[in-house]
Amino acid sequence: MRYAILLLGAPYSSQAAHSALRFAQAVIARGHRLEAVFFYADGVHNAASLATPPQDEPQIVDGWVDLQRDHDVRLEVCIAAALRRGIIDAAEAARHGKDGHSLAPPFTLTGLGQLIDLGVDCDRLITFGA
Amino acid sequence: MTVTTSVDEGAAGELLVILRHGPHSGIALKEGLDAALVAAAFGRRVSLLFMGSGVAALMPGQGKGPLDQKGTLPTLDMLEMYDIDRCYADSASLEALDMSADALVIDVTAVDSGGVAQLMACHSLVMTF
Amino acid sequence: MILHTLNRSPLDSSVYLQALAAMTEADCLLLIEDGVLGCLPAQAGRWPQLTGRLFALREDLASRGLVDACSDSITVIDIQEFVALTEQATKVVSWY
Repeated sequence: MRYAILLLGAPYSSQAAHSALRFAQAVIARGHRLEAVFFYADGVHNAASLATPPQDEPQIVDGWVDLQRDHDVRLEVCIAAALRRGIIDAAEAARHGKDGHSLAPPFTLTGLGQLIDLGVDCDRLITFGA
Repeated sequence: MTVTTSVDEGAAGELLVILRHGPHSGIALKEGLDAALVAAAFGRRVSLLFMGSGVAALMPGQGKGPLDQKGTLPTLDMLEMYDIDRCYADSASLEALDMSADALVIDVTAVDSGGVAQLMACHSLVMTF
Repeated sequence: MILHTLNRSPLDSSVYLQALAAMTEADCLLLIEDGVLGCLPAQAGRWPQLTGRLFALREDLASRGLVDACSDSITVIDIQEFVALTEQATKVVSWY
């Protein structure tokens, strides 16, 4: 089956990101195709390139990056939700006159239409809320 | 207030967006409504279900917040423009807030628990915000 | 069958009532994260008529020290079985 995940919670603030990452790994382990994880609402904080959790805590951002690298899972971040929360890529930073950017590279900023397409096109869309 | 216990075939749609957060309480309600508007703009048949504190979004007389934050009332006013005309509210939540479906900022159909379950069944995709 | 997931403790949030109101007799409810606090026998009254359709995620029970305390009426499943439930369900609705 083709799966997509919608993640609404920031890492560490809630368990949603941990649950979503565990579920994502299990979906792949059972032989399904995980098309994408869509990060919306506070979920956009999962894409923070500057997040520096202590070494002995789960590295959630790295976990998403591994999924993308090893299983070609798209990491799509809602642009409106991200910009309002300070998650911004180089192009948007230049456009808005900001001197830094904060989106980890394999994550991409995209529109909400992408979430709707995932929901319609995939066999299952599983939401992890916070 | 008339409460619908059975949702007819005409209610079927592609996406049911359930809104469970009240206005001016963070941005969850706005982000849920945004998802509904974008889906409708992409040509999807969208229904809204207000549930729990989400029914407070339907309260007449809402204003801006103290920092001039707009709230969600202006967005509700735009629903018709996006052809989102199937809006429902959970009757138990309305009653809990002493609200009546007859006096709200947009036209909604009040549904009981059975109606809520039917809405879940007759939409291929359900998103909760 | 629709699979409903609930991640809030019934002690803190009444969202579980919304989940129950939205369920039909064919639907299943899976308790995850803080939702697993609802597995304690003292909470059994919250889940009337869900026998055989009420599940809890083992790893969230285990991390909270609740595996042994879980009510017998609740089916404890692992993360792979969570995925299997989503395969069987026509859709998944999250309550949080």
